[in-house]
Amino acid sequence: MSPRLTFPALLALLLSGTAAAVEIHAAISVAPEYRARNDASSYLTDATAAEIATRSSRQDIELRLQQGGLNAQGTLRQQVANGSSPEYHGVANQFYYDGRIADGLGWTVGKKVLSWGVGFGFKPLDVVQREDRRSVNAPPLVGVPLLALERFTGSDAWTIAWTRPGQGDGDINNDGGERDSALALHWYRLAGDNDVHGVLRVSPRRRLEAGFGATRILGDEWAIHGAALYQRRGWRRTNALLDDGGALAATDPMMYAAHGGGVKSVAGVQWTGESGISLLAEAWYDADAYREGDWRALDALTAQQLALRGVAPAAAIDGNIAWSSQAFLASNLLRKNVLLRLAYDDRDGFKPYGELLVTPGDGGRVLTLGAVWEGDRQRYTLGARQVGGAADSAYAQAPIKRVIWAEWRLAVF
Amino acid sequence: MFERLLPLLLLVAPVHAAESVAALLKAADAFRLPAESVRVETHVELYKNDALDKERLYTVYVKPGRRSLVLMKSPSEAGQKVLMLADQFWLLMPQSQRPIRITASQKLLGEASTGDIATMTWSDDYNGVVKDEVDCPSPPADLADVPTPATTHRCLHLDLAQARNGVTYARVELYLDAASKAPIKADLYVGSGKRAKEAWYVARPVNGQPRIMTMVLLDDIRPNRRTVIHYRSIVAKVAPDEFFNPAALVRNPLTDW
Repeated sequence: MSPRLTFPALLALLLSGTAAAVEIHAAISVAPEYRARNDASSYLTDATAAEIATRSSRQDIELRLQQGGLNAQGTLRQQVANGSSPEYHGVANQFYYDGRIADGLGWTVGKKVLSWGVGFGFKPLDVVQREDRRSVNAPPLVGVPLLALERFTGSDAWTIAWTRPGQGDGDINNDGGERDSALALHWYRLAGDNDVHGVLRVSPRRRLEAGFGATRILGDEWAIHGAALYQRRGWRRTNALLDDGGALAATDPMMYAAHGGGVKSVAGVQWTGESGISLLAEAWYDADAYREGDWRALDALTAQQLALRGVAPAAAIDGNIAWSSQAFLASNLLRKNVLLRLAYDDRDGFKPYGELLVTPGDGGRVLTLGAVWEGDRQRYTLGARQVGGAADSAYAQAPIKRVIWAEWRLAVF
Repeated sequence: MFERLLPLLLLVAPVHAAESVAALLKAADAFRLPAESVRVETHVELYKNDALDKERLYTVYVKPGRRSLVLMKSPSEAGQKVLMLADQFWLLMPQSQRPIRITASQKLLGEASTGDIATMTWSDDYNGVVKDEVDCPSPPADLADVPTPATTHRCLHLDLAQARNGVTYARVELYLDAASKAPIKADLYVGSGKRAKEAWYVARPVNGQPRIMTMVLLDDIRPNRRTVIHYRSIVAKVAPDEFFNPAALVRNPLTDW
């Protein structure tokens, strides 16, 4: 029985079999975005520039339905960008059922957002959802197909989930590296002022991933958190020319490659005052990200390709550099990252914030300033992000140097 | 003889006073919560310069052991949840579906403090003294939500201090009707000693019993703000313990309860 047949049948069965009240919510949003190209970047060629829409906008109609344990969330999306025709998509963000077998024992089937662990800028224990925590103006998350069993006691919770059943090892170069089938386990314990998490994930692609994390509350205003994950096999997208020794490729040379075992970790401290001001300092290490040396090698390859102007066809050079620029799509450009965040909540719906992300290894930095204002049913978001730092840092070399975004959201009912 | 008894009297007197305050707070709590485990449907109106600015709907499940679960139901907040287990707090935002442990200070953030909505008793959280007996305070003349009583009642004036960490307000000056022990007014102070809010309680009969069905909060920090909390229904309901496990916030079966 395929999942496409299962879900409508499940919906009909559940809607007919329960008298629970139906909750339906709808929202519309308009999210324009402006991107400024980085003319100083070696990675900005005509081919790269053609891939960057400087002006775009996402229009969503979002629907949520809940009846008893049944939950559905879908989005109808129009995406417009300068230089291309409008695109229309239907997104099934979530469609799942939370069932109950007995006291403290439940099950879940369907497509569900399942976020685990601790951290703000980076969450190493998020082995199922793997959301990019640093993207701007992000659309609603899309869940993961899963079958899960959950056990709750007074202070503990266990979840065992078979995620993306039937998808096997997937195609890593087509799915961004995360669409493989896996068996995942999450353990949670409330131990006084501590929230303790443990995760275990077994999959053909990454083999074993195991990690622990905790959040500790210190008084009324302070909290600290930390987590570490060991993965038996990590993956990152690298340019095959760096191994082959060639200068130009005829097809996309950016391929995911396994790089052996590694650790991902995060540690942070947060303070929130009575005034509504809050501070966050967080540092993390991502073994799947590039080292400084990886960027130097890719920079050298790009320089070598640029030096071929007049010798090789311009289209081949520009195309190869555009392929290499996919390295900037990684959620962490470098392994070591430090994030500082200052935010304010005026308790009346206005929440401005500022963030500074630094990559100490190469002197790169990302400054983000934004504000959210929430009214009765409307929410306005405005933000700007600027990359920079040392001229040869990864962030300073990014083909996009500035993003300005806004969002207007209306909760209709 | 008296000199011998004096130390004993000094020991006994505060204990007696403390018992009295505990009994008074229990009696006052009964006007807000008719049972230990309840489901409360709450409608919150946020006024700015006397004009209705925002409305919010909450369903609150309360269980013994200072456990409260707040489900946010209004369109702009749908899916958000706050869990309070004694002095420990968690927040679930529907966008991330990840329960986040928050501090007591973070609980105070937001337009309508979660603590004002989820905490409906004093007896578990505060102890203190009966300061004096006074004429009951009258609500401000322009406060239409709180009717002014036709006759002056006498009130017990209690000075309460937090008995546990993590309570929303460090100190409360509470006025109880001397005869019925119904709460009339409270001055709510935050940890710095500053008065943050002034609360007025409005009772009306429910099933023949007087119940607090409206609470009006006047904001001292933002004087042009007024929050009116209407308790649309308060029914005895025992939600399963598992829903008060922080990890269970990502599950959504509570519409059946």
